[in-house]
Amino acid sequence: MTPPERVLITGVSNPLGAEVARRLATSVPWLFGCDLNDPVAAIEDMDFVHADTRQSVIGKLVRQLKIDTVVHLAVMVDSPRGERATHETNVIGTMNLLTGCSGPSSSVRRLVVKSSQAVYGARPEYPSLLSEDAAGMSQGGSLVTRDLLELEQMTHDFALRNPACRVARLRLGYRVTRTTALGRYLSQPLIPCFLGYDPRLQLLHEDDAAEAVARAALGDQEGAFNVAGDGVVLLSQAMTIMGAQPLPVLLPASQWISRFAIRSSTGVNLPGHLLDLLLHGSVMDCSRLRAEFGWAPAHTSRGVMDAFARGHTEELVEAPSPPQEYELQVYLQRRRRGERYRTAQGALPSGR
Amino acid sequence: MSIYAESPQERRRRSKDAKVIAPSRSPFDLGRRVRRLQRRAPMYALTGISGLSTRLRELTGREVIDMESVMAFVQFLYRQQQLAKRGADYSVDEFGFDAEWTESLLPLFEVLYRDYWRIETTGIENVPATGRGLLVANHAGVLPWDGTMIKTAVFVKHPQPRHVRALVASLFMGMPVLSWFLRRTGQTVGHPDDTRRLLERDQLVLVFPEGVRGTGKLYADRYRLRRFGRGGFVATAIRAGAPIIPISVVGSEEIYPMVGDLSPVAKAFGLPYFPVTPTWPWLGPLGMIPLPSKWRIQFHPAVHTDEYPREAADDQNLVMALSDRVRDTIQQGIYDNLKLRRGVFV
Repeated sequence: MTPPERVLITGVSNPLGAEVARRLATSVPWLFGCDLNDPVAAIEDMDFVHADTRQSVIGKLVRQLKIDTVVHLAVMVDSPRGERATHETNVIGTMNLLTGCSGPSSSVRRLVVKSSQAVYGARPEYPSLLSEDAAGMSQGGSLVTRDLLELEQMTHDFALRNPACRVARLRLGYRVTRTTALGRYLSQPLIPCFLGYDPRLQLLHEDDAAEAVARAALGDQEGAFNVAGDGVVLLSQAMTIMGAQPLPVLLPASQWISRFAIRSSTGVNLPGHLLDLLLHGSVMDCSRLRAEFGWAPAHTSRGVMDAFARGHTEELVEAPSPPQEYELQVYLQRRRRGERYRTAQGALPSGR
Repeated sequence: MSIYAESPQERRRRSKDAKVIAPSRSPFDLGRRVRRLQRRAPMYALTGISGLSTRLRELTGREVIDMESVMAFVQFLYRQQQLAKRGADYSVDEFGFDAEWTESLLPLFEVLYRDYWRIETTGIENVPATGRGLLVANHAGVLPWDGTMIKTAVFVKHPQPRHVRALVASLFMGMPVLSWFLRRTGQTVGHPDDTRRLLERDQLVLVFPEGVRGTGKLYADRYRLRRFGRGGFVATAIRAGAPIIPISVVGSEEIYPMVGDLSPVAKAFGLPYFPVTPTWPWLGPLGMIPLPSKWRIQFHPAVHTDEYPREAADDQNLVMALSDRVRDTIQQGIYDNLKLRRGVFV
């Protein structure tokens, strides 16, 4: 297997995308990133393109740039804009990207797709540890779960039709940060929860998530992989660690009322799959990741929770990023692109 | 020897005048004496009870208040208090099992085991002291008290105390409070994946192949085993190479003599059955108190599955034959123990 040369990261402007780009920048000669929004932090060795995965322009981008490795991170699991908005990005966006990567003439040899633990949903009848083949066990589920299942199905079909391209799907565990719904839910001083339920949570640290994606981009493992920290942390434990007070809500016969109560009282937009998680919990079996990657997340679920609580008590310091710096980065990028174009013309067709 | 580095004179010179800030007295503050009394109340109570016990023994000539059980109760309360102080400093396994907490509750179940149902356990040595094992038992009584008693028996009576992990119908895993309690005490969903994982971790797994068909049967059908599913537990045991230990439980049928089943009510609540017993639902919550029948639990010699290759798990003939063998052992054990029992309540 040849190491990747031209890597495209979609959704590079989200924190995970930025971290993956930072990790890949040192080991990949040509790194491209695309997103709708400007990147949170400029990365010098990456060329940034404003491109929307929901439009077919993404396919042109892949073909024009002769991308050989695509890291698809433009997959939203909890979005501030609600569950409906994620459908477009997750399903239509992925479909466009896969169309762009397919075909016999395609240069794409490696595709890494970000998925989530939410693909399983949470049900009382599910096994306590979910292995990779347990996804889609039952019909229904929340909107996000169904979207992710469709996304994974499309990716799986793509892998079957394009044997030259090795496809990995990473089911990342739930992450608790200031930007995720679960993180914001746990950051409240008074946390409404379901009376008589203490679900098991399995968490993934941001660093481990980025490391897993970066390793997958450089590797050639195929299929679905569960990625999450070792062990579990109970919701009640998480609340104690965060120093929050639980507010148990009685679960009446109709679950919808109490779900609505939690959703409205938290002020955090808790999508359906998270409400299911707060009832029944969800834990994945990550032995396949350990066996095939020879690597496991460094942080345990408990460690992730402790780290989040520590960070939460500390004052949030805004990274100094004056507008000039961004302008400078854009200038440098343009210059570099020009240089590359010139060197490429001189050195082609042997490559770099 | 002083713990201070500097001399007392120097220390006095360097130290600043301490300012005493007295806490504001609340009108409800009853003073130091009362607070001390509050703190020492448990000790005084214990001394009083022990004095009373001695006096009563002298007066009547026999033990009226058993100090040992009083101390056990105090110990239980103290342990619960200590556990409450753990905060978040404990860990549960991936199935949600909290061993420390479960062990703290065992004294309660031990009282039921020893004094209420006066359980006689035989063949406990058939449970392996180390390594995996699949315990298979008959299921009876409207509520799964038989599961708790098998768990208590293995932890209390076995020379090597071990926790038994029972498999529970997913229906109960979705219920509030129950799901929390069951997971916390080591139970998990009756799913082949969970059974396999627990056996691979060398745990003892308890399974009731009859399921709710067993607990929901009428009093008239007592001690008649129901169908053992499709023998899925045998296939799982063969795949994991785990010995199957059949268990016969006698006495659990009489704790709630179920004379009827109101299936329309059950359907309305989403339950598998809605029992009618001489006390339930007529007496309300009092009807949930199980009757003090006399129990016997027999652990049978293990059926070894490691002599079969892994692929034998797909051989439905073999699986059903083994399943029937286990079922016959349990049924025979029930008849034997019924003969050994003098009466239902004695």
